[in-house]
Amino acid sequence: MTEASTPVEGSAWGRLPHWLRPRSAERSGSGRTRLVETTLLVLAGLLLAIATVNDVVRQTHVNQRLIADLRTWRSYTGHDYHNLSISQQLLGETSGREVVCGNTSPGMPKAETQLCLAIWGPVVDGRRTVHGGWYLPPKAEDLRADRYACFGPASPGVCSR
Amino acid sequence: MSVAAEGELGFARTRSEQWAPVLLALLALLLVAATAEIVLDGALDHSALIPKSPEIAGWLKGIGERLGYRVFLIALLTFTAAYAGLVALAGRAGVISKRSAIILIGALHVIVFAGPILLSTDVFSYIAYARMGVEHGLNPYVHGPIAIAHDPIYYYVGQDWKHVATAYGPLYTLLSYPLAPLGVKGALWGMKLEALLASVGTLALTWRCARTRGLDPVKALLIVGANPLYIIYGLGGAHNDLIMLLLMMAAVSLTLAGRDASAAAAVVAGALVKATVAVLLPFMIVSKRSLKPLLGAGAALALGALIGYAAFGIHGIDVVAALNRDAAFVSTDSFATEIAHLFGKPGVFPVDHTLLKLALVLIGLHLLWRTWRGYDWVAASGWTLLAVSVTSTWLLAWYILWPLPLAVVARDRRLLVATLLVQGLFVAHQVSPLLAPVQ
Repeated sequence: MTEASTPVEGSAWGRLPHWLRPRSAERSGSGRTRLVETTLLVLAGLLLAIATVNDVVRQTHVNQRLIADLRTWRSYTGHDYHNLSISQQLLGETSGREVVCGNTSPGMPKAETQLCLAIWGPVVDGRRTVHGGWYLPPKAEDLRADRYACFGPASPGVCSR
Repeated sequence: MSVAAEGELGFARTRSEQWAPVLLALLALLLVAATAEIVLDGALDHSALIPKSPEIAGWLKGIGERLGYRVFLIALLTFTAAYAGLVALAGRAGVISKRSAIILIGALHVIVFAGPILLSTDVFSYIAYARMGVEHGLNPYVHGPIAIAHDPIYYYVGQDWKHVATAYGPLYTLLSYPLAPLGVKGALWGMKLEALLASVGTLALTWRCARTRGLDPVKALLIVGANPLYIIYGLGGAHNDLIMLLLMMAAVSLTLAGRDASAAAAVVAGALVKATVAVLLPFMIVSKRSLKPLLGAGAALALGALIGYAAFGIHGIDVVAALNRDAAFVSTDSFATEIAHLFGKPGVFPVDHTLLKLALVLIGLHLLWRTWRGYDWVAASGWTLLAVSVTSTWLLAWYILWPLPLAVVARDRRLLVATLLVQGLFVAHQVSPLLAPVQ
């Protein structure tokens, strides 16, 4: 089997200026275009590589902060529960402030009364500072209308009662 | 070179040739072990990586442990490292036999086929759309799966897709319809089988195209068939991208055989599965500079549009609307998001979408010009597909598979290097849960 070739010479394309004429194959020695392309590709590759490494480092720092938040919730409540939920959006996605919610007694996730803590600040000894919180009834999502017994400086903006 | 130096080099070559089969066996073993680990752990229960699914791999339960990020990422990195070694080894002609390559790729396919659905809920959306049309008389181009909330498949559809009408082409939707009456489990096996057969077909055509172009077919086969994203994400998730790739490679194969009209029709058929593959068409037409591909594409498009319209109405052929909708999505794995983070932005803004589209248009125009002046149209198509995935704000692992089969049969080796580099960066981007596991 052979690859089909496309004749160019003698066709209607022959009337076009030389630089505009189509070719069946690249002219050998057209190295300048290739050099420019390769340079741009290398630069693009470098940008992607740097962006990827930066993002892995950024995400790792975020994860370390989340680990500290989970530890903080456990140490604050005295419950060593593992089914905790973290919201990074509620207090601003790029604010570094998180809300961690978990049951106040053993049970399926969200099946019991939940305690949510608003946590931010630097990580000290693997934990961060609790700046307030609220309770949620069993089986409720963390919505403003369901929050009660709010406490601390974090609660005024996010609590209704 | 002196005789002594030549002798030393020859000795070193002989010694490395002796070690090559041992190294090959070791790398193959790592690939199989990493795949088996993911499949066996995934078979136990759903997790953050394994979507909720009807029990189709129950007989594998009890061997592994529930698949978590740590084990998955170690297996994925092991697979990727072994694959890199294999690609390097395959670069030396004659080191890997055709038989060894087929056995290895066959083993990887069988393991993944026998296991659960990995890493994506997309296949449940495919089944939901099919059941909407066949079992409930609803148009999947008008309604999202929420319209069949009472159907057993609805429970398995991904949260983000419950309200979303299908974005796939009418040919794919019609292909999925015969699976709908088989029940959820039957349809799931049907989808897995479709993906398996599409993968086998893609690999066979890749082999054929490489051989036709005077390239090493074993190397081409291994680079595609043992690729971590191809096996774990593409085949593991039973993605319909594999069907699109099959039709794409059929088009390349037909072109190489001089059947330009059929090749263009195959591209259109591929685009009626998933629209992305349509980017091949302008390069094919510019390269061939004859009426045949235009006629082939035109006839296939007319037929496809007629069937699509008859089956689904105007929504079934409005591919542009679906593409525009999907182009607005943003995923954390996209390079656009990573670059936004690099420049201190929280994410991608509407202006970034516009800039990325502009960049894509410029790349496409440059490649069209290069193809007009004799550049390999297969390579140009591959570059465009790579550019589509890199500039997309909604990047998923199986999107970076699109240029791979073209890259291994293209005349420009840079495309393969760039594709593998982008894939490597994608894998590297997954590792943060390994460095700081949140639990």
